[in-house]
Amino acid sequence: MKKTGIVFFPAFDWSLGETHPEREERLLYTQEQIFEEGVMDLPQIKQYSPAVANMQDVLRTQAVFPSPKHHELDAHLIAVGCSLVLGKALMAQEITNGFVLVRPPGHHSATVVWGNRGFCTLNNEAILANYLRTYYGVKKIAIIDTDVHHGDGTQDIFYYDPNVLCISIHQDGRTLYPGTGFCEEKGGPNSWGTIVNIPLSPGTGDEGFLYALEKWALPAVEEFKPDIIINSAGQDNHFTDPLASMNVTARGYGKITEMIRPDLAVLEGGYSIQGALPYVNLAILLALAGEDYSRVKEPQKISRRVLHGEPVRSYIDNLHKYFQQIKPNWRYVQGQSKHLPAGKWVSVEKEIFYDTEMFREQRQDLIRECQHCGGTVFINTRNQATMEKAMLVKIPFEACPACEQAGYDLVEHYKKSAQTLLLQNQLHNQVLFWEKSKEVNLFASEN
Amino acid sequence: MSIRIGIDVGGTYTDAVLIRSGQVRQTGKVLTKPDQLLDTVLEALDSLNIASEISPKHEVESITVSTTLVTNAILQKQLPEVELILLPGSGMKLTSLSWPVPYHVLSGELDYRGRQIAALDKQELQDLTETIINKHLENKQKNEKTLAVVSGKFSHRNYILEQQLAAYLQKKISELSMALGSEWGQSNFYRRSLTAYLNLAAQDLFTDFRDGLIKAVRARGLQAPVKILKANGGMQPAENIRPVESIYSGPAASLLGTLAQSNPEHTYIVVDIGGTTTDIGLVLSGKPLLSSRGAHIGDFLTNVHSLAVQSIAVGGDSVVLPTEGEQAAVEGKENKNFSLASYRLGPAYCLGGSKPTTTDALRYLGLVDFGDYARAEEAMSLLLPEGKRETPYFREIAQNILDLMVEKIAEAIGILVKQWRDEPAYKVWQVLNPRADYKFPIKLSGGGAYGLAAALAQRMNATVTLTDHAMVVNAVGAAMAKPTFSWTLNLDTSLKRYRIEETGEQGEWRGSLRPHREVEQFLKTLASKQAKDMGLDEYRLEMEPFDYFPLIEGYRTVGQIVRGRVHLPPGAFQLQDYGPSS
Ligand SMILES: [Zn+2]
Ligand SMILES: [Zn+2]
Repeated sequence: MKKTGIVFFPAFDWSLGETHPEREERLLYTQEQIFEEGVMDLPQIKQYSPAVANMQDVLRTQAVFPSPKHHELDAHLIAVGCSLVLGKALMAQEITNGFVLVRPPGHHSATVVWGNRGFCTLNNEAILANYLRTYYGVKKIAIIDTDVHHGDGTQDIFYYDPNVLCISIHQDGRTLYPGTGFCEEKGGPNSWGTIVNIPLSPGTGDEGFLYALEKWALPAVEEFKPDIIINSAGQDNHFTDPLASMNVTARGYGKITEMIRPDLAVLEGGYSIQGALPYVNLAILLALAGEDYSRVKEPQKISRRVLHGEPVRSYIDNLHKYFQQIKPNWRYVQGQSKHLPAGKWVSVEKEIFYDTEMFREQRQDLIRECQHCGGTVFINTRNQATMEKAMLVKIPFEACPACEQAGYDLVEHYKKSAQTLLLQNQLHNQVLFWEKSKEVNLFASEN
Repeated sequence: MSIRIGIDVGGTYTDAVLIRSGQVRQTGKVLTKPDQLLDTVLEALDSLNIASEISPKHEVESITVSTTLVTNAILQKQLPEVELILLPGSGMKLTSLSWPVPYHVLSGELDYRGRQIAALDKQELQDLTETIINKHLENKQKNEKTLAVVSGKFSHRNYILEQQLAAYLQKKISELSMALGSEWGQSNFYRRSLTAYLNLAAQDLFTDFRDGLIKAVRARGLQAPVKILKANGGMQPAENIRPVESIYSGPAASLLGTLAQSNPEHTYIVVDIGGTTTDIGLVLSGKPLLSSRGAHIGDFLTNVHSLAVQSIAVGGDSVVLPTEGEQAAVEGKENKNFSLASYRLGPAYCLGGSKPTTTDALRYLGLVDFGDYARAEEAMSLLLPEGKRETPYFREIAQNILDLMVEKIAEAIGILVKQWRDEPAYKVWQVLNPRADYKFPIKLSGGGAYGLAAALAQRMNATVTLTDHAMVVNAVGAAMAKPTFSWTLNLDTSLKRYRIEETGEQGEWRGSLRPHREVEQFLKTLASKQAKDMGLDEYRLEMEPFDYFPLIEGYRTVGQIVRGRVHLPPGAFQLQDYGPSS
């Protein structure tokens, strides 16, 4: 029998603040709804218990600076751990798909973590994806983000990675946090086109959302041919969500799930705690389990104006055409910098805003252009509030020998500097950390 | 010190014990007559010479019965039909879960906080009434009662729709016997409906048994309260127990029997080997582990709390079959030469039976000392093809049978321990304090169980000890069971409504919007009073940590949802020499 796995972790004893949207109450009614319906008694549903992720699994994917011990990570590590639980179950073929129904969320959490952004500290889906690549040899993964907010953290983590397709369908960044996710953001020099952003106009409902999925997102997935599809299943596109302005219904979310057919869905945002979450979560879970979700109905009616018909379709069609003709424009590091290993390096500069604690991060990403692999990435980052600096060297999965060596050369040179340095050697499943030119074992208490 | 009597109705035998001052003074064993359970119980009771134990200093304090009455009636589909009236509202399709009984569907809907979304429909009510009146007239001609259960989704948060519907029907059909799903007020809707169904269906059968039992006990001059053992290992006075809660008390009894003879602080696994089934349970620091879900009986999933017991179809009287033939009836065919059947055909061959059993293998290997050795050897030869009927092969097949039994028990132990370790957790502190790996010692009971002790110890790499009074351990468990009950509170201060899930009690909350100590005291007071009224000893009430959810609207706190629970946990009074006595 086909099984649908679920880890339900509502973190009933954790919040970002008593009246914060990310609070104890957030999944309370979802629990009431799902349990009362008897979903857990469906023969094809298999409930798994939560687990804690270890730091090695986190640091392989995200650089937590100045060091993990500076952050309150317990709840986040459990949300990640839950994702890994279902990832393992999927790989062991105990389940055919699964729903990681947990909080806190993670998709705004990026390559470098100086703090909490958009309620996220660790990126559940990204850590999961790299876990599956590390331990199960999964080659290609597609992450489809259906949260109303741009999945900027996930995009950032895989921006230079040609083997992870990131598609985010969201409310236009000109009208909503985090203000990114435009068509022009299409990937790095070795991964151009593996980032797909579909910004929709406020007011878009089921019709427009499903149209964008059918005509744009799913064909991109088909072309990419992923081994695994992960859905960042945020629920704030719902017409009752207090933070956004879209008009998707619970049944619309059921249909979205049915169309994406994710191997694993991971809950992201969604802050209409009473009006949407109990119903949207139920619809997603039923759709995953192959059950009829047509009777799932939120009691409230749509009161916002819904964009529909020809205008919404042609808007999406035009945007898609525009997307297809966008070309990259790289800024190469000129001359041969004395500390950069041989090769052509592309430089990307960005500033990232941490809304929870209100500070900025300044970043320079250097990517080694490569015909053979994803290319080694060297990142310099500075927390503008504390002026702390740190560096990250990432040797990608399936790195070619030249890129691998470039990574080692960078580490060799910079580990003697006073700055904090992290090596993510994804090729050899190795994570090393230097503080004040001394190597630090961050995993002493782990096995 | 006083006298406690325990009677356990088993599939084959019914056992009785009399315990005085914490000492087993008398035991009795009679054959179970499945169609005359009351007679069987009384026969077992009469096999004890109670009069000889009574004195001014020693009076009978309790008579506790663990009976298969309701279990059998459900499994053999002997219960009367109940009109099941459902208010499923929207959400998951009703037919996504399989309903073992027919039902009527009406509109009317609540949400997860018990707020009404849609009212009952007048026309539907009239149509339903007509249908039930017709049914009632039919039943009357057959001299049968008409039973009806009304059950709505989220009625565990508010019984308003169920009560409205029930009141309407009762007014139209005064002879209708009715029950509400909200009386079984825990999630989920499906299990609550089916639990209410079974309980109402079993009511008359159980009442007759109970009244007959009490009358017969009184006729014997005994004034002690008569109690019934529940699936969760607790006992409750026969007068106020709900019939369906008496299912699966047998496995609970065996666990309690071991508990009564063990250090009340210890942690261990209980393995009770019966005639055709072996029950395996877990005791943690003296507390038996409860199943995180309700009991499953026949085609019914219920809300009935039960101990987490793994029951497997392996026992001392399990028939051993040669591999050829009878495959259909066989459970598992994991060995090349033979397999274990899930049924019993009389006693073991070495005890004069007609078919080889697991006991014959133990006898042949010299692991048990009862039964005829020559017949045990003959039993082994019956399992072997001609030409292989020689000593080395006898030994080999006997050893294989033993290994298979042990393997099945080991497997079930593994499942149970995994279940315990993998129980869902919903809070950060629970996940950060995981249940450790632990090497559980094993306590073994049941007739002939000692024959398996060495092999099981080796397979599990654990210490295995034999429980005393192994032949009547279930009756000891019944006699020494403590009372249990629980009160689970769900309070919504914003809606000013509280409910006690187990009893279906619902009321208006007059306390503050954000109560803390106040609500704990409220529940404790309520539970203490009700425990007393039910004849349970309130002093053992245990309180679990309460959960508080601030309710926010906009950025303002408008109230709290509070979940809390106090309970009398299952447990057993200790026999003398095993810890503090009652
Ligand atoms: Zn969001
Ligand atoms: Zn390369």
